[in-house]
Amino acid sequence: MSINSRWLRVESDTRKLLMKWLVALLVPVAIFTFLWSGEAIENNVFLGIVAPATSLYTSSAVFYAAIFIVIFYATVIALAGYLVAADSDRRNPIEVWIDLLFYVVLPMLYIIVTSNLLIGLSLSAITWGIYFFARKRVRDLLHYNPPALLEEVQVLDEQQKANMMNRARAGGFWFATAFAVISLIVDVIFFLSGSLPSVLLIWVIVRTILLPVAGYFLGQLGGSVALKRVITQNENGNGNGEKSEQRGFGWRRNVAQVSKKQQLEHLSKSRAREEAKDFVPNDLPLQSKGASRFYLTLLGLVVLFYPVIDPILFGSGTKGRITSYGDLGYYVILALGLNIVVGFAGLLDLGYVAFFVIGTYAWALVGSTQFTVLTGIVTNPQFVSWLFWPMIIIAALIAAAWGVLLGAPTLRLRGDYLAIVTLGFGEIIPAFFLNLDKYTGGINGISGIYRPATPCIQPFFCVDWNGFDPTPYYYLILVLIFLCIFANVRLRDSRLGRAWVAIREDEIAASSSGINLVNTKLFAFAAGAFFSGVAGIYHAAKLGTIAPTDFNSNDSFIFLAMVVIGGLGSIPGVIVGAVVVYAINLLILAQLDTFAADPTNFLHVFPQYIPNFTFSNIRNLLFGIILISIMIFRPEGLIPSARRRRELHRAPDAELIEVGALDEPPGSAAFEAEVPVE
Amino acid sequence: MSSKQVKLGGESRPAVPSENALLELSGVTKRFGGLAAVQEVNLIIRPREIVSVIGPNGAGKTTVFNLITGLYVPTTGEIRFDGKSIVKLSPDRIVQAGITRTFQNIRLFNNMTVLENVLVGQHTLLKAGVFGSLFRPPYVIHEEEKARERAVELLGFFGTTLLERQEEYVMNLSYADRRRVEIARALAANPKLLLLDEPTAGMNENETLEAVKYIRRLRDELGLTILLIEHKLAVTMGMSDHIAVLDYGRKIADGLPEEVRNDERVIAAYLGRQTKEDAAEE
Repeated sequence: MSINSRWLRVESDTRKLLMKWLVALLVPVAIFTFLWSGEAIENNVFLGIVAPATSLYTSSAVFYAAIFIVIFYATVIALAGYLVAADSDRRNPIEVWIDLLFYVVLPMLYIIVTSNLLIGLSLSAITWGIYFFARKRVRDLLHYNPPALLEEVQVLDEQQKANMMNRARAGGFWFATAFAVISLIVDVIFFLSGSLPSVLLIWVIVRTILLPVAGYFLGQLGGSVALKRVITQNENGNGNGEKSEQRGFGWRRNVAQVSKKQQLEHLSKSRAREEAKDFVPNDLPLQSKGASRFYLTLLGLVVLFYPVIDPILFGSGTKGRITSYGDLGYYVILALGLNIVVGFAGLLDLGYVAFFVIGTYAWALVGSTQFTVLTGIVTNPQFVSWLFWPMIIIAALIAAAWGVLLGAPTLRLRGDYLAIVTLGFGEIIPAFFLNLDKYTGGINGISGIYRPATPCIQPFFCVDWNGFDPTPYYYLILVLIFLCIFANVRLRDSRLGRAWVAIREDEIAASSSGINLVNTKLFAFAAGAFFSGVAGIYHAAKLGTIAPTDFNSNDSFIFLAMVVIGGLGSIPGVIVGAVVVYAINLLILAQLDTFAADPTNFLHVFPQYIPNFTFSNIRNLLFGIILISIMIFRPEGLIPSARRRRELHRAPDAELIEVGALDEPPGSAAFEAEVPVE
Repeated sequence: MSSKQVKLGGESRPAVPSENALLELSGVTKRFGGLAAVQEVNLIIRPREIVSVIGPNGAGKTTVFNLITGLYVPTTGEIRFDGKSIVKLSPDRIVQAGITRTFQNIRLFNNMTVLENVLVGQHTLLKAGVFGSLFRPPYVIHEEEKARERAVELLGFFGTTLLERQEEYVMNLSYADRRRVEIARALAANPKLLLLDEPTAGMNENETLEAVKYIRRLRDELGLTILLIEHKLAVTMGMSDHIAVLDYGRKIADGLPEEVRNDERVIAAYLGRQTKEDAAEE
């Protein structure tokens, strides 16, 4: 393969693909860089290196911002390479462009205009709802039928794989080059109009040379991600080519005869839609599993480096935002925990807040002067602060133990009765802490709760947990969230996770397949309570004071709303659900009165014309309306698990299947009524 | 074999010598309030036998199954499997003891794939607990791999159709395929005794012939003992080593297919009281 064919000479069909994806990706990236703050971060980093005195950043912030910028643009370039390689080119570019306009460009514009991340995202969510609705209608009107996915499963040989890699390299290279050229032109314009310091010209030149080179190699990276998801000739059902020969005799050999390709071709339409995301070449590479690697990298990058880039993106007020995101964090953990109980195992728990309260008091009683009140032992605050770390596990275990205590007698009850018992528990526990005022401080709660402590190694790593900087708590909750997601994924994909789904589907069949119902349900309860204990101790340490009146059973319903709205049983779903419910309930609705007080805001008409009107009065009404609307239009949740979407939205083109004797699904009351005792 | 039973001691044994019995029901009765669904049923099944239980609708056949598998507890009577009493065990413990079943109306986990259904069937054979699931030590990874391989192999027992559909959701399969998946799931637990509740219900002639073939293979190739409830007399007559007939909760006949076919009580039970009334009128 000569250098020419690799680099610059591009076949016509690849050219079409290139145009499609270059336009698709350049628009959002350009908006981010020039309209928003990508450019600003870039320039500040360079200034920080070259002329530290003029820069806005401290040297450590420069370092982190530099890493952010490099990885960010590298990921986008590699993504370009991946998309060019992975696209099967059967779909119209216009489709992709309009999709990207709504998925990416619009949210960015909202965020830029409102200068608030959560409000911008919420507005985007509303727009997405309208867009999906409208898109379906327009497609029906135009009689547009996209080609079926997985119609012909392509098996690639070595030559085709090499072509794919070439396309990836071309994609990365040309995208990077185009971006370099655009940046060059913009910077020249800025320079000529006087807003670019001349020292930055060095950077401009370096960048224009560096980008195309990086593009070639990053495109290769994107291509290798694509190649991992390609179906090759010798894959049989289990994915290993050679092993199949050594199978046993008789019917055991059947396994070797069925290839992956055959399996994929036999899938029904709805299932094919799900599996199609895993393989390339793909009709919808933007939604493929490979692309989601890149999205997750970008998301992780933004979340990880947020405290560093927030001042540039949004201006002042960073500390307030980071504090509220720290709070949002423990809501996410609560949602993840409740997801195990309600989403995985299907047990209706209406008193989840009880375990959260147990977690907060577990730390409050140990990590404050209340401990002295309880036991008479005087403790050294410096020493006890170190106990925060083991106490995370211990408090969580205490909450889990209470989960088992609650569950053991009640899990034999049927769904509705279990819900009522848990509701009762959710009322009892806060009341319990309120009334034991001799030990728990009663209605005044406990204040002066100790913060965590970490070793201080000057000047590398010294964290101040007691000051007004919310950043350490932000990173602490990120670590905890990461561990919780990790645990959830592991549990979901394990023997225990399968048992939970089986119980949810059909208890009798599950029991008859060897699953111990009570033990398995108890594990679900205990696991859910464990996570809520973790959230509890974090909250107690971060806030520093707790009181039993902070918590009421309404909160249990809000957590349930997070899980259901996000998507029952889906891990990304409940995280998004937690963010959305938090944003709507605690940020937007709480601030409506502040917005309405501003005479230039359109909301001002309400208090102006309606006497005694405040938004806080109708806040719950509004929240309820929003929840109900979501349940009507998207009952499976915002990011449903595949299972849930199937349960609730039978696709119109689903084939009619003869199910057999009964029409009722097993496990429902109607089915029980029909099964003869015989 | 008899000496093994003597050692268990203290519990009454039926008068009939039951050496070699895999499953033994003695005097099993189940009352629901005033209704006796099953009364004084005795049944012996020996290893590697195919035994059918037949009878008109409402005779108590599925109740007997539910009693054996632990979904109901007998009001009186004893059930022994491999010499040990299984009467008070929960259904999951009975699976561990070596008995699995299929259901009359196919109770599969609809929103799981074929492969996942069979993997659930292996629940009792796997050992991963909460910590195993979280940390995935080598033994768990190994055991999951083996479980997957075994599940795929079991699907292969029925030919290539299920193998081609292993990643499909069971609710999208045809009726006959769903029956096969349910049997595969029951096989996954490595049972000694398999209870099949009307395995050919809803099938046409060809499908029934196929089903008979693979049920025979379950005994011949996998060494299982099989207890069937079946309504199609051609199937039971052709396949069973012996047949038990239930009517109104009582066993009215038990013997070789030819004996049962010609037994007048059996004929009367199936054709109903009408025959007796017609005879009385003459």
